[in-house]
Amino acid sequence: MASTTRVGVYFCHAGTGRFDGIDLGDVAAYAHELPTVAATVELGVRPRLQPDRLAAEIRQRQLTDIVVAGDSPGHFKPVFTRAMALAGGDPRAVRLASFGEAGANVTSPAAVAKAIVACAVYGVPLGLAAAPVRVPVNPATLVIGGGVAGIETALRIAGGGYKVYLVERAATIGGHMAMFDKTFPTLDCAACILTPKMVAVGQHENIQILNCAEVQSIQGTPGDFRVRVLRRARRVDPDACTACHACREVCPVHVPSEFDVGIVDRKAIYMSFPQAVPNAYVIDGEHCTWVQTEGAKCGACAKRCPQDAIHLDEEPRTIEIAVGNIVVATGYDIFDAHRIERYGYGRLPNVLTALEFERLTNASGPTGGKIVTRIPRLNKRTKQEEWVFDAEAPAPTSVAIIHCVGSRDANYNSYCSRVCCMYSLKFAHLVKEKLPGATCYQFYIDMRAFGKGYEEFFERIKDEGVFVVRGRTARVDARDGHMVVRGEDIVHDRIMEFPVDMVVLAAALQPAVGTPRLAQALGVSPGADGWFTELNYNSDPTATNRGGIFVAGVCQGPKDIPDTVAQASAVAARVLSSVICGSIQISRDPISTTAVEQRAAAMAAARPEA
Amino acid sequence: MAVRANPHLIEELEKYGAQDVVKCYHCGNCSATCPFSGGTYLFPRKSMRYLQMGLESRLRATLEPWLCYYCGECSDQCPREAEPGETMMSMRRWLTSRYDFTGISALFYRSWRAELIAIVVVALLTGIGLTIFGLTYGDLNVYDGEGAFLPAAAIHRFDWAMAIVLVILLGINCVRMWWFTVGGDRGVRVPLREYLKLAFLVPLHFFTQKRFRQCNEKRPWAVHLVLMFSYLTMLILIMFFLHYLQDGPAINWVAHGFGYAAALGLVGTAIYAVHGRIKKTETHYRHSHETDWIFLGLLALVSATGIIQHVLHRTGQPAAANVLYVAHMMGVVPMLVLEVPFSKWSHMAYRPLAMYLSALREKAVAVESAPADKRAAVAQTA
Repeated sequence: MASTTRVGVYFCHAGTGRFDGIDLGDVAAYAHELPTVAATVELGVRPRLQPDRLAAEIRQRQLTDIVVAGDSPGHFKPVFTRAMALAGGDPRAVRLASFGEAGANVTSPAAVAKAIVACAVYGVPLGLAAAPVRVPVNPATLVIGGGVAGIETALRIAGGGYKVYLVERAATIGGHMAMFDKTFPTLDCAACILTPKMVAVGQHENIQILNCAEVQSIQGTPGDFRVRVLRRARRVDPDACTACHACREVCPVHVPSEFDVGIVDRKAIYMSFPQAVPNAYVIDGEHCTWVQTEGAKCGACAKRCPQDAIHLDEEPRTIEIAVGNIVVATGYDIFDAHRIERYGYGRLPNVLTALEFERLTNASGPTGGKIVTRIPRLNKRTKQEEWVFDAEAPAPTSVAIIHCVGSRDANYNSYCSRVCCMYSLKFAHLVKEKLPGATCYQFYIDMRAFGKGYEEFFERIKDEGVFVVRGRTARVDARDGHMVVRGEDIVHDRIMEFPVDMVVLAAALQPAVGTPRLAQALGVSPGADGWFTELNYNSDPTATNRGGIFVAGVCQGPKDIPDTVAQASAVAARVLSSVICGSIQISRDPISTTAVEQRAAAMAAARPEA
Repeated sequence: MAVRANPHLIEELEKYGAQDVVKCYHCGNCSATCPFSGGTYLFPRKSMRYLQMGLESRLRATLEPWLCYYCGECSDQCPREAEPGETMMSMRRWLTSRYDFTGISALFYRSWRAELIAIVVVALLTGIGLTIFGLTYGDLNVYDGEGAFLPAAAIHRFDWAMAIVLVILLGINCVRMWWFTVGGDRGVRVPLREYLKLAFLVPLHFFTQKRFRQCNEKRPWAVHLVLMFSYLTMLILIMFFLHYLQDGPAINWVAHGFGYAAALGLVGTAIYAVHGRIKKTETHYRHSHETDWIFLGLLALVSATGIIQHVLHRTGQPAAANVLYVAHMMGVVPMLVLEVPFSKWSHMAYRPLAMYLSALREKAVAVESAPADKRAAVAQTA
């Protein structure tokens, strides 16, 4: 039966001009050599086809099958179907070889065009002609971001016995969680959970921490990425530094501490917190007198250091690392509460953001965990009055916590930041615990206590005597020396104005500042709200639209610590599966004539003899 | 008595200009931002709630929409872009249609075509009537004095007749407003003494609009006051001193001085409002209902024809002045007859009345026992 198959290949262009570069004569010559092809006909651009004439030709050449090839062959299919019917053949035996469909506009369009024609001649589906390609995977992994997500992922992958590079912008890993006092709803000590993990990362033989570092560019393909990482000058050798604090005492420069969200100062040579990993000092080059004067002044720390660990003239350098997988765990930044002027942030000294309150209430914070109000004090250096936190300052008698600052608001971020309700309740508990006589108000729109044990936590906080008021606060004003919070108490149907001593703004989470630039370098698109987009929210929440690149933690969308850790572990599993397998599948190979011929032979062999 | 819910209340209010009411998630930001919201009167959020729940009878009994002057801060700050300010505006239109016993107001607010047709019909009737009258008793070429086409005395009588009809219509609507909000509410007992004691609030708020001035933004109040006093000046001149303006050739400079100032005020505010609504310069100009444009169109037409006819008369072209006079009346009569009792202009009565009624209601609530019990009683009787 097979020997009686006689295929006629007709080349006709619809005149779209897309594949003018293809030498049709060459493709026709190739087609003519195919075993079943009886005739190849070049009809040119937009031929005027007559079904009866075509039918006569089909009869004359005894064609059993027709292949219409070209840039848009579907355009001509009805004529050929009609002609086939007129010639007494099978009208269904008209197949199309569309150059556009299988991507003949790739690097070698003519070769692909040939393969497309071959597919149509043999009746091989295009999808079968293109075999998926597996590429070997470099077993090393890059984790971008050293917060709890990055730490968890790094530990899991390294625990499996594979190399991990952990890139962190700051001088220490730990991220935002290192700043927290307690976790909700269990009220566990955050540092007690995180610092052992940080130490484990620092000591792990498979993890290389690249601190003071930023990813500059990423090249290569999934399984074989080459990443350029900028390492800013740390100026203190972390291996030599013993954290004896001698340098700090001699440094004359005071700068607001990033780790304490600016509520206290640090020196230009500093260590963010005593448990920092790597446990070593760092010099803030932007504020260091020696660096700014290019060595003309100061240098006191280098003279004082007993270990000779300080190298003030260290230069930034770029290193290149090769990895097979990349995990993005860049986390978040806090919404700038200055943007909502009516809440008085920046204008009223005792309006704090949640992160500032977190440092204030933290036992390792500037007041040793005492919740106090800011008081004015003369700064002896600048001779100006400043509002500062002092452990001896009076405690607030009433604290208002305002939810949804910059979240669920069409003017700022329309999404829910998901963690604010719960940390606000946690704050209320801490206020009640540390200041039993103080009044605490929560102003909320909707209480989103969605997690395990969260609703119970909410009930517990209410039982502790916290006033939970349904209604968003409209404004915070200074009146007669104290602050007045104005809002609608919706449940009790009244406008209320409470005098308070402290206001905490539950500011929204926003994508970390470098996210758009990093997304561009990675070739991974962030969504409209700025968070990285996962491949499929339900079924593939850790992968991205680029193979070999995964997301973990808040950078994919606001989430709390349990969810972050869970996602970080899930990412580690994804990475490990590709590393252990040794290869990953990337997109399909472009089809080739040899692939088609092999597939056709295989299909013919598999076909039972008629 | 149970409260009956109207599930289509939002759709109905949307015909009056409400937008995005369903978006509201009741954070209360608008109510707390509003300088007027407080005490017994909480809005706009609560009014939005009535809408969302379809509490038509509750909404009809509220005075809150009249206490709002649409400074627009609630809409600017609204986290849901639910436009509470515009919703209050649409409620005022809806309430106007409820107070109006004829149903004409509801027809006009829901169909601008109907309003336009009514305006054209009234304008044509006015034009034809005045032309026949003028040709029968006077001469087109005479503007004033003996044999005038439209003598001041006749127009005067016509004005007064029209004014009496309009005052009666608007008066009935005002009584209905009182009944819906205070009189018919068995939960609110206001002693007659209080009615008399607080009566001064009506003229006070009519003339000063002092509550409007409490908005954080002062300019809308100033513009509105200029417009209102320009109208009032014109009204007094026309109702009492028309012959000073119309008769010549001697010019009464006192009357003319007032007339020119008022004309300037009307033209200026009309241009300001049209510009604001086209460019959407202020929050309360962001959304324009068809009736807003019709009102501004009539205002512009009346001002322009009035000024031109006056100029023609004073420059010695009586025939042209008479023609423009008829055209002017064709704008004035529909504007007064249709807008005063049935549309936008009715707020000149409802606004000050609402201040009075809200004060009475607040007094009644304060007189009785604890506010919480009071509210429960109101809820039961509503």
